Amino acid sequence: MTANSNTWQQFVWVLTTLLSHYRRHPGQTAFMAIGLMTGVALWAAVQMINDQARASYADADQLLGAQAGFWIRPTPGVRQGGTDAEGVPVADYISLRRAGFVEIYPVIEARIATADGQLVTIIATDLLALPIDSLSGTSETSTPFSDDLFSGRQWLPLIQPEYEAWYPQSLASQLGVAKGDQLQLPGSKKLPPAVIQAREQQGLRIFMDVGAALSVLDRSSFSYLAVTNLKPERRQLLEQQLPDSLILVKNQQALDLSQLTASLHTQLTAMGLLSFAVGLFIVFNSVRFSLLARQGTFTTLRELGVSTQILGIAIVVETLLWSVFGTVAGIGAGYLLSGLLLPTMAASLQTLFGAIVAAEIGLSSTQVLTAWTLTLGGLTLALAAPMWTRARMSVLASRSPSEWWRVDERARWQLAAVASALIAGAALLFPMMDTVTDGFVVLALILFAGAFILPMALHLAILIALKMLPSSNWQARWAVSDAFSQLPQLRIALMALLLTLTANIGVSTLVDSFRTALSDWLDVRLSADLYVRSDSLDIDQLHSNDGVISRDGDPSWLIDSHLRSGVSIRWQNRPTRIEGLDISAPDSQAILLAEQMPNGLIEWQEGSSGPVQPILANEQVHYLARVELDEVVTLDTPNGPMRFRVAGFFHDYGSAYFRFYLPNKIFETTWPSASTEGIALWIRSNEFAAAEQALINSGAEPGDWVSQRDIKRISLAIFDRTFAITAALNGLTLLVAGIALLAALLAIHQQRLPEYAHWRSLGMHFSEWFRLVAVPLLILVTVTGLLALPLGWILSWMLIHELNVTAFGWTMPMLWSWSPVLQLAAVTFSVVLLALGVAALRVRATLPTAIKQLASNS
Amino acid sequence: MLELIKLCKSFVQPDGDVHVLNGVDFNLPAGRSAALLGESGSGKSTLLHLVAGLDKPDSGTLLFDGQSTADFTDTNWNHLRRTQLSLVFQQFHIVPTLTVADNIQLHARLAGRVDTVFRDQLIERLGLGGLGNRLPHQLSGGQQQRVAIARALLHRPKLVLADEPTGNLDETTSQNVITLLTELTRETGSSLLMVTHSHEMARHLDSQWQLHDGSLSPAGQIQGKE
Repeated sequence: MTANSNTWQQFVWVLTTLLSHYRRHPGQTAFMAIGLMTGVALWAAVQMINDQARASYADADQLLGAQAGFWIRPTPGVRQGGTDAEGVPVADYISLRRAGFVEIYPVIEARIATADGQLVTIIATDLLALPIDSLSGTSETSTPFSDDLFSGRQWLPLIQPEYEAWYPQSLASQLGVAKGDQLQLPGSKKLPPAVIQAREQQGLRIFMDVGAALSVLDRSSFSYLAVTNLKPERRQLLEQQLPDSLILVKNQQALDLSQLTASLHTQLTAMGLLSFAVGLFIVFNSVRFSLLARQGTFTTLRELGVSTQILGIAIVVETLLWSVFGTVAGIGAGYLLSGLLLPTMAASLQTLFGAIVAAEIGLSSTQVLTAWTLTLGGLTLALAAPMWTRARMSVLASRSPSEWWRVDERARWQLAAVASALIAGAALLFPMMDTVTDGFVVLALILFAGAFILPMALHLAILIALKMLPSSNWQARWAVSDAFSQLPQLRIALMALLLTLTANIGVSTLVDSFRTALSDWLDVRLSADLYVRSDSLDIDQLHSNDGVISRDGDPSWLIDSHLRSGVSIRWQNRPTRIEGLDISAPDSQAILLAEQMPNGLIEWQEGSSGPVQPILANEQVHYLARVELDEVVTLDTPNGPMRFRVAGFFHDYGSAYFRFYLPNKIFETTWPSASTEGIALWIRSNEFAAAEQALINSGAEPGDWVSQRDIKRISLAIFDRTFAITAALNGLTLLVAGIALLAALLAIHQQRLPEYAHWRSLGMHFSEWFRLVAVPLLILVTVTGLLALPLGWILSWMLIHELNVTAFGWTMPMLWSWSPVLQLAAVTFSVVLLALGVAALRVRATLPTAIKQLASNS
Repeated sequence: MLELIKLCKSFVQPDGDVHVLNGVDFNLPAGRSAALLGESGSGKSTLLHLVAGLDKPDSGTLLFDGQSTADFTDTNWNHLRRTQLSLVFQQFHIVPTLTVADNIQLHARLAGRVDTVFRDQLIERLGLGGLGNRLPHQLSGGQQQRVAIARALLHRPKLVLADEPTGNLDETTSQNVITLLTELTRETGSSLLMVTHSHEMARHLDSQWQLHDGSLSPAGQIQGKE
């Protein structure tokens, strides 16, 4: 037999011997598998959702033409030659294409009513006119349609008579449209046969070919021409070619979803990584127990002449096997989990940013590879420390319990030293924190410092408890000192529990603070009784002399009204709203300002006699655009750039946009063509019915107005839906930590069974045994929970005062409440007692055998 | 087979160095057996650990099969333990997650020397027939020690080192185990060096040595020895 084959044979038998542990301890194997799987699954689920959302934004932005760098629109004030006053004539488009401008494609956007009065939005383009490089997806800036749209020529029926109308699934369900149905429009017109698409990212819009749209809508012009990939020299040429009636304008209103949602995704990624870290702790826990349980086997193998190298290689192979299992099972479970979480996440994104996420989850090779790398890295980390300890220990020392005590003490001090280094790192980084990622790094340093200091804190707590107990109470002293025996094995599970409790406390404080701030803000902000806003209603008409809300004589049911108008522009590379407010309206009197100049609100209401008018900006302008009070901002207006001085910053919770308020008088002169967007009505008590009847008489339909109470209820319901994903992840992480604790307890009790058998042989009752092992565990969990309180407070403070401001640009007061903390404590102790109960039942079942074993060995 | 020349070993203790072995000379011919007697803490196990390469002497020479082990690396010791040596312990040290059959064959498999005929003979001689699929915790202490003996002998080592192999067993079981151990080592031609505190057990071996104050000397004729 050659040396190589002998070595190989040795390796095979060593590996077989090591892996036999898992066959004989299915419970421990299951916990390790569950720990790995849940850790990877939580991370992978969040990752898949994030990737899916980002892919949806890219598709949506391109499909809507929103990423077009420029638009060609009718020149304001110049009458068109065509029939449509507001469009780009088809003839002009054709002549531009003939002139060689292949960067141009036509877009029609129209909101129309169906025969039964439902409003739908149509978006149409000419697929064949889309820039060629965008079809292949080679262009970074324009990929109007993903490849799947063009595969299998499924688009051909879309552009050929009788055409097709593509409905997203949710819109089709809403309208009750099935495949092949033709939506009836007023008169004899019908939309082309319906095709139901899973592509939710087109929004609640019907997608059609531009030719079909022109015919159905009876138009001879496009809404605008989108221009992509326009090089500077071509831009000049294009501008020269445009007739006077058309103008090339920079796309100011592109809603860059990727940019807007980046912070939310960073937060979710951080939560995913936290879940992964908790999962890793569980794996670390399981690996530690599997190594501890196999300590004797390692030493026996060494005694039989197996080298540490072969043992090391066998453990690496074992790690690889586990990593493959963890990745495959974790990705599979993550896929299922992401399917469950996606609707909640989609609701959050739609609420916060109006972003629509496709319902189908995709799995990429990059995700699988990243998951495997993370799992392998985590497992190697979990195995590296015990392996290093094992490799340094001689065969004789590894059989000595006192050496293990020394190893544990060393580990405790080493962890405390690492914790100190992490705290120092966090203290150094904190003043330099500038981005959301920086903030998460600081948070991670603090959280892990807390986890690493825990074993030392627990050790000290036991020492203090022992000192405080009277020496006469030997049972209590025994119970407390037993914590020393449990601590080394429980250490990692308790660290995982600490991270989970901290995350729970921190995030629930954030959510509670946000909810309370939003609710209080809504109380002040929504002071009107009814809000009228409808696309089908002429608000100006309502407010005209002969309208229901007359300018000259208000009806008897009306106390006050507030007409609102606004424009969307792009400022500081972000979508921005400028709104005109009636300064005499009740809600304008009580704008909640976070900061203002002395008498800022009065100055803003009165206006300035100089050229620079005061303006109010939302906090996002302050924190994200770094504009200070009294600073002058320049906004693009139809008359060119104009300067405004910031008199105050108002709260604008949850808004992703920059927003400015101007008194109506100034707004109307600056943006004369701005449309009126809604009206707020203050109604006399008991006059609601009269008000609603008056609105109906003016042509409004139920649904065109909404009451203050409904808005508040809907807002808070949306808020709760938005943060449901946080609650779901919190719950899952706590479950995972509970599993870690149960695994640790089962392993400890299995290991200590001979010791318990000795105790039992001394006449100890089961109830006495239970007290003896339960008391130290409860002390350890209580100390862990107490440490989680300050850490949770720091986490919520950082999330509210630093990360939220950096990410979203608005502030809120931090609200510390004991109620969720007490709830969490109740849940935690229930989980701990459940784990203890399961472990106790197992001990009760196996103790008789252990006692017999004890007798047969004696 | 085994020769120790002026072997010394001491341990550092808080109250000063303890010289456990103080120039031990010893010779164990091939195929012979010897018992190491001595009080607790006299250094019997330390001597066994030095012979097995689990610990290193401070000075002196250890010859195995005529070859000095002075320059042995860990790899050399691993190879020696795997192919030429065997260890039997008081606590059995069998792998709790492997079946009896796998435990018996483990050392031979690692050495690349499984003789199935001899394996079956050993199982029969040691009374382990029918227990092959059991796990160690399903066996009595005596049965576990017999598994350890079978494992120690299956690869036909040149030297078997036994550290209080009957320390955990009752008297009858101990007698059986020692009888089997000595008979089987004789039959396989292995040498046997056994640490024990029991003169009764030591009588079963060819020679008896007493370790006292760090020195090794013959324990003399013991009553009843053949």
